[in-house]
Amino acid sequence: MAGRGKLIAVIGDEDTVTGFLLGGIGELNKNRHPNFLVVEKDTTINEIEDTFRSLGSVSGSVAEANPSQHDPPLWDEIDSWQFLNRDDIGIILINQYIAEMVRHALDAHQQSIPAVLEIPSKEHPYDAAKDSILRRARGMFTAEDLR
Amino acid sequence: MAALDLRAELDSLLLQLLGDLEELEGKRAVLNARVEEGWLSLAKARYAMGTKSVGPLQYASHMEPQVCLQASEAQEGLQKFKVVRSGVHAPEDVGPREGALRRRKGPTKTPVPQSSDAPRDPLNWFGILVPHSLRQAQASFRDGLQLAADIASLQNRIDWGRSQLQGLQEKLKQLEPGAA
Repeated sequence: MAGRGKLIAVIGDEDTVTGFLLGGIGELNKNRHPNFLVVEKDTTINEIEDTFRSLGSVSGSVAEANPSQHDPPLWDEIDSWQFLNRDDIGIILINQYIAEMVRHALDAHQQSIPAVLEIPSKEHPYDAAKDSILRRARGMFTAEDLR
Repeated sequence: MAALDLRAELDSLLLQLLGDLEELEGKRAVLNARVEEGWLSLAKARYAMGTKSVGPLQYASHMEPQVCLQASEAQEGLQKFKVVRSGVHAPEDVGPREGALRRRKGPTKTPVPQSSDAPRDPLNWFGILVPHSLRQAQASFRDGLQLAADIASLQNRIDWGRSQLQGLQEKLKQLEPGAA
């Protein structure tokens, strides 16, 4: 894996995830957790946050409405599935409307790897005012700094 | 004198940051356009193949990534990303390998087909003969991935520049406490 490079993960709606998987970023085998999450209308905010930090669903790529029906995974397993804590993920693509649901988690992420990239969705166009990176950049300058 | 040098460095950094922000905005607009083209193509493919024919039900149970990232550290704390595509083979050399006469009789050695380590094309998940719109969708999202890597590199550069700017501003305040 060290020779192969880092992966691109995606958290998004069905079309976004299908499209980027068509592009060739998907990874799924018997031993590894998938590097993508399809967010459906039944997906809760906690599940998205869990995926972003620690995946809560055992069954894999599509977040289920009732993950509590499965046996709760061991905390060690959850740690190994965290997109942020996986050292093999370089970029996380996330629809901006989903990013809004877990904005606190995104704002808390300060590391350069994995880089988090907000992308629009079909129903929600991209809004630069909501982007975490651009909001930080906007707060760079104050009136005193420019004197 | 040190303050002057610091101010010059601050100005240079600020100009670079503003340039990076402008470039980021431009690349974002192109990425958004590519992704929208991809959705439209996916919708056309879904219209041609059926509503349930293009979606998570068709995802393979085993996936190998065709696209990976190479992360390199240009300066301390500054990460740069580059998209690397796997499964790209060099073109075969066609023609006689030796200049000598060839034997026309005798057992001929048939070339053993090399097992390809290239990952399977995700287009094959959706069938053997897929509509052109699905290929167009794949092309759009592939372009989007290259742009995503560029945007991620730019975002890292902007974050890095921001931290450098804050550091220089702090140093300047210490040198010129009255100026602040």
